[in-house]
Amino acid sequence: MRLQTLITLNRYFKKYLWTIIAGTFFLTAANFFLVWIPVFIRRTMDEISALGSQVDQSYDSLFTVLFSSEAGVVLARNAGFLLVAVALYGLLLFATRQTLIVSSRKIEYDIRNELFDKLVRLPQRFYSQRDTGDIYIRATEDVVRVREYFGPAFMYTINTFTRFGFIITMMLIVSPQLTLWALLPLPFLSAFAYYISGYIYSHSRKIQQQYSRIAGRAKEAFSSIRLVKSYNREAYEQSRFEEESDQYRRKKLRLDMVESLFHPMLNLLIGMSVIIVIWKGGQMVIGGNLTVGNIAEFVIYVAYLTWPVASLGYTVNRFQRSLASWNRIERILNEPIEIKDEDKTDHEIEGIKGNIEFNSVSFKYPDDDTYALRDINFKINAGEKVAIVGRTGSGKTTLTRLIPRLFDPQEGAIYIDGIDLKEIPLGVLRKEIGYVPQDTFLFSDTISENIAFGAQEADMDDIEEAAEKAQVRDNILEFEKKFETILGERGITLSGGQKQRTAIARALIRDPKILILDDSLSAVDTKTEDAILQHLYEDLKNRTTLMISHRISTIKDADQIHYMEEGRIVESGTHEELLSKQGRYYEMYNKQLIEKELAEI
Amino acid sequence: MSSDKSTQNVDTDLLKRLYAFVRPYRWYVLLAVALTLSASFMGTVRPKLTQMAIDEHIANNDYDGLVWIVLLLVGTLISEFVLLVANTYLTRWFGQGTLYSLRNRVFEKIQSMNVQFFDKNPIGKLITRTTSDIEALNDLLSHGVVNLVGDLFRIVFILYFMFSMSWELSLVVLATLPILFYATFLFRAKVRVAFLNVRDQIARVNSFVQEHINGIDIVQLFGREEKQREHFEKRNRDHRDAYIDTIFYFAIFWPTVEVIASVAMALVIWYGGGRALMGGVTFGVLVAFIQYARQFFHPIRGLSEKFNTLQSALASSERIFHLLDLENEIPEPEHPKTIKHPRGAIEFKNVWFRYVEEEDYVLKDISFEVVPGENIAIVGATGAGKTTIINLLNRFYDIDEGSILLDGVDIRDLTIRELRSNFALVLQDNVLFTGTIHENISLGNTDISREEIVECAKKVEAHRFIKKLPGAYDYRLKERGKSLSMGQRQLISFVRAMVYDPGVLILDEATSSVDSETEAIVNKAYRKMMEGRTSIVIAHRLSTVQGADKILVMHKGKIRETGTHSELMQREDGIYRKLYELQYKEQLAGENATASSSEQKTVETSEENI
Repeated sequence: MRLQTLITLNRYFKKYLWTIIAGTFFLTAANFFLVWIPVFIRRTMDEISALGSQVDQSYDSLFTVLFSSEAGVVLARNAGFLLVAVALYGLLLFATRQTLIVSSRKIEYDIRNELFDKLVRLPQRFYSQRDTGDIYIRATEDVVRVREYFGPAFMYTINTFTRFGFIITMMLIVSPQLTLWALLPLPFLSAFAYYISGYIYSHSRKIQQQYSRIAGRAKEAFSSIRLVKSYNREAYEQSRFEEESDQYRRKKLRLDMVESLFHPMLNLLIGMSVIIVIWKGGQMVIGGNLTVGNIAEFVIYVAYLTWPVASLGYTVNRFQRSLASWNRIERILNEPIEIKDEDKTDHEIEGIKGNIEFNSVSFKYPDDDTYALRDINFKINAGEKVAIVGRTGSGKTTLTRLIPRLFDPQEGAIYIDGIDLKEIPLGVLRKEIGYVPQDTFLFSDTISENIAFGAQEADMDDIEEAAEKAQVRDNILEFEKKFETILGERGITLSGGQKQRTAIARALIRDPKILILDDSLSAVDTKTEDAILQHLYEDLKNRTTLMISHRISTIKDADQIHYMEEGRIVESGTHEELLSKQGRYYEMYNKQLIEKELAEI
Repeated sequence: MSSDKSTQNVDTDLLKRLYAFVRPYRWYVLLAVALTLSASFMGTVRPKLTQMAIDEHIANNDYDGLVWIVLLLVGTLISEFVLLVANTYLTRWFGQGTLYSLRNRVFEKIQSMNVQFFDKNPIGKLITRTTSDIEALNDLLSHGVVNLVGDLFRIVFILYFMFSMSWELSLVVLATLPILFYATFLFRAKVRVAFLNVRDQIARVNSFVQEHINGIDIVQLFGREEKQREHFEKRNRDHRDAYIDTIFYFAIFWPTVEVIASVAMALVIWYGGGRALMGGVTFGVLVAFIQYARQFFHPIRGLSEKFNTLQSALASSERIFHLLDLENEIPEPEHPKTIKHPRGAIEFKNVWFRYVEEEDYVLKDISFEVVPGENIAIVGATGAGKTTIINLLNRFYDIDEGSILLDGVDIRDLTIRELRSNFALVLQDNVLFTGTIHENISLGNTDISREEIVECAKKVEAHRFIKKLPGAYDYRLKERGKSLSMGQRQLISFVRAMVYDPGVLILDEATSSVDSETEAIVNKAYRKMMEGRTSIVIAHRLSTVQGADKILVMHKGKIRETGTHSELMQREDGIYRKLYELQYKEQLAGENATASSSEQKTVETSEENI
């Protein structure tokens, strides 16, 4: 399974294969030049040593030494080589980052796009099964973590191996014995880094949770401030907050304790290596097997190995995390999209008239045991106004959501103009439906963008007209920037009624054949509601309108009223017919009458 | 120049104020500085010891001496380790302590602010003050300062050792410094801008994703998948490019630093090599210098990083102290009076009030009286000023003119605590907290026993559903009681009001969506609660009003009619009658319609408060 995961992940490399190969080459070359720096230092020292023992009286002025002697040439040559190696190393390192890390950002971009594309196409079934916060984290944090696999994790791995390879080779050439001694502390360093980064990761999550708890406490207290104050409970809230605050401090300190070990430990182990080099190397120099230059060389090698070795542990950890994140993302990418155009879709269909028929439709939400809709049968002719009433949870909203195929029913079928819903291209179907949901959702964009959301070709006149029909134009014109006013966090907040009316405008501008109003006028006052309904009833005569409402004033003129209870339609008819039936609708109406009479006593 | 100076002053001022929070730990801070000093010494002395090992022992073939030096090296290494660990832990410990008290102080301050403050400031912003603004000080307080000192010590020690070995070679190494400084300076400036951009882009991409997950059905219903994907790609591209900018700067900076450090080494070798030939410099010195040249750049880079930390910490602390400096506009009386025997008599005398100075008065010359034991109902259209009366009685706001008396005492002469202890408030939104049912009812007041709670719960018939919950009264509510129904939440807030057994019960009638059975229970509970108590009900449903002893009809900030239900209904052109007729239309649609109309009211009252 792990391998499979890795294979699917690695396909993202493909697009940037040559860049990545080049980057790998640059990094390898950079490390190749890096190892020459200590070599030239050793050479200089050895050569000085040799020169010094040959002649020891002729060097009386530093100027002579550096610029006009045999020694000067030696020194300048070595320093020059050293500088060339350094310069090449620097240049190649620059090239490495510009290729490898840049590619990782490009891959991240690709993954993000792919994931977002998938998310907008996934059916509502997917969203109803999952927590939105969870999906959000997949699409943000998990992508960031996967990126680390392509970026730092990949780069550090290449770096560790190539640098290690070159340096160890050089060290072995000088002295296998000293190499062994010098490397002794390094495995500990790697293991330690692995352990620490794992601990930090898992503990950071706990701290993050505690941090959210603090924020949650503050949110509760601040948003309930009137209650807290009126009951004189400030001290209690303070103590509850301080408790979380204290927890946070403790957890953070525990992490700090481990973290505070990291750098000192790194320092200790590397310091150990250096000391061993001096001790063992010194011993060998005394024994005549090595030169002081070799000691200098080894000291630098060890320093060069510090970070790659420490990063090895860290990289392994990152790598595991990246894979875990990728697993989660992949699960989303592999989710089936079951609501889409299929073979039986008739692409000849370019529009609909608006006849709707439900034929023995039963539906239950995924992961739910009970049916939300049971055996729904009804017919709406194009242009009719139909109302659905019933208690909260009786299935009204669910019913309307099946028409634009947000969900497909498990049993029965829905027909538009006599054609099975599944044969109509999804794009055509949805284009012909204007849906105003119960919870008004507007995007953080301009008002005009929001209204024209489903009508990309709409111009300003269309937008204003739709706003006028929804009785929200005057409100919008009162804003300083009018239709260009930005909504949401960075902009202004509309009142509930204004939001609903904007959402109605968004539906109307599409000039839909079917208009669905799911309790969409609840926050609108009755006068405005009447005005809106006037428009809907009068100049939109050829539209099929399906509305859910709780106000009898809204629904009593409907051509048909369906009363729903526990997922079934239990009564149907016009207002008068239903009253004469003396059933539930009548009961509901009557109850109000009695209340009214009672009130009049 | 002068503006520079004033920002300088502001900065030192902020640091001084921050210090006030660190002050309790000042001896530990000193200890930490001492530890850092020792650690810095232990860390920087080792190349010097290396030099001695090479020159005095290896060069003289003195193995025993070498072993001694090696042991000394191990000793300094281990003590540096111990000192560093102790020091890091110590600094983090008092850093967290400081943050802890600062965070609590901020919370306390916000909580103590008047209600108006909460109208003006979005909750999100207030949460930021108590969380992320405090976190931004973490780096500064938990290691910034001490490490800064540590870096300085290191630099000083390194310079000392270098100069004591060879001043010429030291100067050669230092010659590369200006280049490093300049490179770092350039880099910091560029990267800072680039990172600000990255942060913006991350926020843009993430909020776009969040919004589209929440509004996915709209995207699909309106066939915007393709278009929104394009929008996303654009943001995503900006995000990627912002990062690529920073990569570029880092790709230049890190190699540059490496190169400069290596150039310093090359210079040491070249110049030092020449000197070595003349016998002025030993090999040991060369090896030590190679180490120092590497070590030296580290704290210098650290210093510039810490400067950045300091900057962002100052920005956060400025916001925090600005908050702590705000004045609470509801003053406590200087010589508070007390009510010996609270009876619950309330009188509004010619009260004028407005929320915002430039705007119209919300209450205009309001006068009315509530006799102890009376049930008063206040009705009126949205925006008539009903809720404002509750706000004023609780002194959430202070009135502009007139006076409000409780048992004959001006409420401004009572301590706020005493004043509020006379009332029990039931709010429209039936606020519940995360915690057990018991805690939600007692609000953490340990004087309230379980028996009292059960007794009150039985009275309002909340006991029946509570006992069915797992753990009954110890059932933990999550997310503000979302697992309970609207009606259940309402009943819990009734029990809460009951156990506090107030002289005056204030109900901002919650007219939420409940089924008729619950509504019957709720209405019954209402009557139970009001029995034998002074009560003020802000009524949204006229059905609750009918039993009231007195109904005040508010219209455009004035009390226009007063009387009982039947009295008021008799007025042909009365406002109450009109209101009644208006409501009648809504009542037709039953319980759900009242729910939506109350939602509308909530929206508009909150607008009115801003």
